[in-house]
Amino acid sequence: MQPLEFSHYSDPLDLLRRFIPTPMKATYRLDGARLGVETNDCALLPELPLDADITATCALEWKLIRDADSPGLLEPPMFLTSATLTVVAMGTACLLALDHETRKLFAFIGTDIDALAFREYLVPFLCRMTKDALSGDPIGCFVSWNYDSAHV
Amino acid sequence: MEIIVDRRLEAAVERPAYFRGNGHLVFGFLPPGSFISYDLRRKYVRAVLSTKAARDDSFWRSLLIPITIGILGTTVGVVPLHCACLEQNGNGLLISGDSGVGKSTLTAALTQRGFALISDDWTYFSKEQSTLVAHGLLSPIKLLPDAVQFFRELGELTPTIFLNGELAYEVDPARFAGSTAKNTSRPSRIFFLERTPHPGCHFVPCPSASIRDFFEKSAERLPDELIDAKTLRTGLIGTLSALPSWVLRSGESPQRTSEAIDHFILENEYATA
Repeated sequence: MQPLEFSHYSDPLDLLRRFIPTPMKATYRLDGARLGVETNDCALLPELPLDADITATCALEWKLIRDADSPGLLEPPMFLTSATLTVVAMGTACLLALDHETRKLFAFIGTDIDALAFREYLVPFLCRMTKDALSGDPIGCFVSWNYDSAHV
Repeated sequence: MEIIVDRRLEAAVERPAYFRGNGHLVFGFLPPGSFISYDLRRKYVRAVLSTKAARDDSFWRSLLIPITIGILGTTVGVVPLHCACLEQNGNGLLISGDSGVGKSTLTAALTQRGFALISDDWTYFSKEQSTLVAHGLLSPIKLLPDAVQFFRELGELTPTIFLNGELAYEVDPARFAGSTAKNTSRPSRIFFLERTPHPGCHFVPCPSASIRDFFEKSAERLPDELIDAKTLRTGLIGTLSALPSWVLRSGESPQRTSEAIDHFILENEYATA
């Protein structure tokens, strides 16, 4: 396997890392819904049941970006939620946002987040957010501003 | 813009400013202890600030407001571009150039010659009835420690660590040079600063395409879903690049370079008159 490479753009500037390519794509089933996942690191493809129907549209899409410049481990999550948007910060190790209207979730995940932390903590967390969004309950168990508890 | 102040953030891990984005969403941390999200499509900002940040005037003046305008501005008709802006006799003057070329020291020297300061590092442009207007935030000038060789008075100040981790002096132009600061100006010329090892200051007319390329490349790349913002910025850069522009090749000190600019403008205005 090729070593992981990260693309950064400085001409024009991409300080926010909006344009990191995410060429690895897969589709999954999550509680009967079709979930699309794209990433720049195959280690971030979740261990969920795959969906072979490539013609169907996805109910929700994840874009998981391995961020080479985001050191550190996961911290207790901070939530900023509204009817249209849920933003969660777990330190610089993981920043994620879910737009409930476009049904797109994206996350920047630092290089110190290993396979175990991703599988045991982040994937269940993302699945929970996804189920809440698909159930039409965008805030769900998450309070609008919560620093103390993870509610995973 | 919705801002929540939460004293629990006093205990949050201290970290440098850190922003990430995707499409129309941008979010990140801003010290001390604050977390902000920007929704550029819905033009909505939500922030949770520590009480320390909320009470700190310089946090608002030097971080939250400039960063918010920098990120959100292009979606609301204000385009941030990397250049300084000064004004003399009602005429706006933009100083641009690559990082580290000496824009801030030249700006400081120009304020010492009586030019009013609009902005040092970032200038915010809008169009008012098809006229280009440059806006500043009355922010101080940031000078790196080696600027002491040109401005001995800096020795009386203490440098501070800035958002990008740089150690620098924060200089109030009013105290530093007795110069005035203004909110807005109408730019009428651009000088693109280049350093040269050769003595003297040389003004070479600069083609508008070069100015346009420079500002396009030095601006943050915008995603396709912000097409209106991209169009606005491209149009505004086009207007900007039509201004009379010169490459200023200087091998002189900031003071000598500012003197050369002053004389060049006078000669130019005399020739035009």
